[in-house]
Amino acid sequence: MSKPEFVYVIYIASTPEKVFAALTDAKMSEQYWAGNRVVSDWKIGAAFALKLKREETDVTGKVLEYDPPRRLAYSFHPQHDGMDAEPPSRVTFELEQQKDQVRLTIVHDGFEPGSKAFESISRGWPFVLSSLKSYLEAGRVLHAPWYDTESARQGAA
Amino acid sequence: MRKPEFVYVTYIETTPEKLWEALTSSEFSRRYWFNTDVKSDWKVGSPFALVMNGTTTDVGEILEADPPRRLSYTFQQVLSEAASKERPSKVVFNLERHGKFVKLTLTHEGFAEGSKHLDGISKGWPAILSSLKSMLESGTALAIPPSALGIEGFDGL
Repeated sequence: MSKPEFVYVIYIASTPEKVFAALTDAKMSEQYWAGNRVVSDWKIGAAFALKLKREETDVTGKVLEYDPPRRLAYSFHPQHDGMDAEPPSRVTFELEQQKDQVRLTIVHDGFEPGSKAFESISRGWPFVLSSLKSYLEAGRVLHAPWYDTESARQGAA
Repeated sequence: MRKPEFVYVTYIETTPEKLWEALTSSEFSRRYWFNTDVKSDWKVGSPFALVMNGTTTDVGEILEADPPRRLSYTFQQVLSEAASKERPSKVVFNLERHGKFVKLTLTHEGFAEGSKHLDGISKGWPAILSSLKSMLESGTALAIPPSALGIEGFDGL
């Protein structure tokens, strides 16, 4: 049986530098990531956290690769909804300039079969990356109505 | 074993009606789909064709047309003799309104085991749908060079 792996490609009319900055800056991430903030000093081996606006705990991790503006990778370990019992997974971003746009590829792997975190991130990333694209291209972000109700968590990565 | 299929979800700040029009109008498709005209009268059972710069690349038949919610057609590549020998696959678009944006889910399925097309369409759809989102949100589609997709034998026409 193959291990669960999430792969997503999105093209953004921007520069690799701007996309990389948006992926690593707490204030920018707060804009397009529904109030969640990425926090790290981005040194290899340093702590990474995704500070979740609607949860008591952060997603924790470590910086695995930091090669601006081409590659970024961190381990990813949600602590809420029982997902702390699963092993950490791994997020890798690859950025390639193509004429007037950037091809951004995200691979999120390292899950065990039946992983709850995998289900959650598979729903979350398309929304977060769609919002990131809108943010960089049109200066707008997508506002998910399901975040307006406390119980609905389906958009959170 | 997982079925060979491609699923892509994107969120677009628009209305289901505008998105439906973009998916079914040649005038729009030419702008975001590598100069490709989508041709059909969009009635169930009617023929469907993709015409790129005057050359028919793919043909099919409309399976479902429920504007502005669901569109489905069979999909057969006809550019090469080898391609046209594979059985047709199936494309399904699902449009769901969420507040100010639409969740678009594309499912391309029904590939034969070991299909040569799955790799190509997996590279093509993210570019097409990224460009579609840009066109609807910012008014400017992306000019992605076809050769940049890395699809064997596809450099545009």
